[in-house]
Amino acid sequence: MTQLLFWLRRTNERLAVVAGLLLLASVTVTILDIIARRIGLSLGGTDELSGYAMAISTSWGISYALTCMAHVRIDLLRAKAAPLGRALLDAVAILALAGTALVIGYRVWPVLAKTLKSGATANTPLETPLWIPQSLWFAGWAWFAVSASVIAVAVVCYTAAGRFQAVNEIAGVRNEV
Amino acid sequence: MILFTSSGLLVLLSLSIPVGIVLFLLAFGIDHFFSPFPLMRGLGQVIWSSSNSATLIAIPFFVLLGEVLVRSGVARRTYAALDAWVSWLPGGLIHANIATATLFSATSGSSVATAATVASVAMPQAEKLGYDAKLFSGAIAAGGTLGIMIPPSINLIVYGFLTETSIPKLFLAGLVPGLLLALLFMVATAIVCGIKPALGGPGTKVSWSRRISSLKDLLPLLGLFGAIVGSIYAGWATPTEAAAVGVGISFIIAGTQKALSREMLIESLKGTVRTTALIMLVVIGAYVLNFVLTAAGVSRALQDLLQNLGLGATGTLLVIVLIYIVLGFFIETLSLMVATIPIVVPVIMQLGYDPLWFGILMILLVEMALITPPVGLNLYVVQATRKNGSFTDVMIGAAPYAVAMLAMAGLLILFPAIALFLPSNL
Repeated sequence: MTQLLFWLRRTNERLAVVAGLLLLASVTVTILDIIARRIGLSLGGTDELSGYAMAISTSWGISYALTCMAHVRIDLLRAKAAPLGRALLDAVAILALAGTALVIGYRVWPVLAKTLKSGATANTPLETPLWIPQSLWFAGWAWFAVSASVIAVAVVCYTAAGRFQAVNEIAGVRNEV
Repeated sequence: MILFTSSGLLVLLSLSIPVGIVLFLLAFGIDHFFSPFPLMRGLGQVIWSSSNSATLIAIPFFVLLGEVLVRSGVARRTYAALDAWVSWLPGGLIHANIATATLFSATSGSSVATAATVASVAMPQAEKLGYDAKLFSGAIAAGGTLGIMIPPSINLIVYGFLTETSIPKLFLAGLVPGLLLALLFMVATAIVCGIKPALGGPGTKVSWSRRISSLKDLLPLLGLFGAIVGSIYAGWATPTEAAAVGVGISFIIAGTQKALSREMLIESLKGTVRTTALIMLVVIGAYVLNFVLTAAGVSRALQDLLQNLGLGATGTLLVIVLIYIVLGFFIETLSLMVATIPIVVPVIMQLGYDPLWFGILMILLVEMALITPPVGLNLYVVQATRKNGSFTDVMIGAAPYAVAMLAMAGLLILFPAIALFLPSNL
């Protein structure tokens, strides 16, 4: 279990760097587009590509934020609780999160499925086949559901075994500083 | 239905369930219990259309800009230069804290990043010069909040996105109130230090030649601000494009300070993805909740309820302000904004208030949330950079600035033109 969690954290870290590079690429394309416009050329479609970059890096980044325990939680009650109470609140939080992640994963699939079936393209000059950005986007959410479920299972096991410190290390609160 | 939504929100939040997830759960609940038709079938499409956005990508761009700038080492020289300019005032170096925070706010879209940056360069000075830690650290926490008011501002982008208000206009509207607030902070410092000089430090005399020569150290940040804000207002660039240019310039600044490295880049990218993802989970959750609240008629019901209270426009506004102040003790900036926008803004608009103006008022109120205990993120950020001393010091030190913010809120309500003059005349 510990090894799986370690692997999950490292994988998410690598994925985050890839998502970051995608954003950096988007920065570059945007700057090139501005320059091109100033000298009378138009690359066109920059907005559209930026939108895809945003959707994709967001869906993948959410898993990374999860393994960093960066998602914002109001921990007023939690901070006052004893270790057992704290672990239970962490368990409630991660179960709610994993449940929601599964629902989201289930509900975003039809968006991609419909695109695949109809072969829809974006209603833009680029006519991007939508399955390309949407499948990467969908995969991010699916991965989020997987990451969340793995952590949720681990938290439930650790809580049942009374290993509260271990719970805190994988599903506690690290407020973004 | 309203009771379900608001009590559900508070209970789930207090269980320490992540804020973004709480918003999703509420949306699921309202759909299940109150909606005449199943709304969740559209969930996937709502998520796709809310995150596939060339407007919102300005958020990671501004976050990346901040990440690069923080690691560039430009803060130290900026602080020293501003010290030369403002430290003759009663309170000494404390004014440099506020001025540096103001200037960083003008390039960064985030309050926490601003506070962290200023704290990292200012705190060692406080110890060296023997300043009383209270007011000194309080000023950094409060000055940092300017990050979301003075453009560019990530929070204003989110507000504009969720309420369909023009982001360039919001940026314009935030400029004067932001600068005025910085001025109020300095006035508050001078007053407090006038009454109790021990809280501040000695005013320092600096020669004009040193002041003039220090100006060059302000150029990187002023240039960056000019490029970002100038290009938006000149109509050359959208906020997203200006943010991209800002990222480019921040890399150049880091390069001139010899701070660029592979490791620095990777850390910046990871930080950007993490911060963006945590913002986006909340924003997507709010977008989904917004969709459900409107479709199920909750927004409508809430408007009727508030109207039936018979408080009138001003009364209702004051109640809303009060709710924000109280919630601000417990809930953090972006979460507070995003969780309440779908509920509050339609009501405000129905009362005939300008959403542009209310955006700025809301920013001011959530800024206060950043420095009001027990949950005040900037207080923690500043405390984290101190080697010793209690959290209470920072809390007490920030109190005069919270009063200044209240005064500013009063001014903004009495004279809406403070925010609206620029956007309606440019």
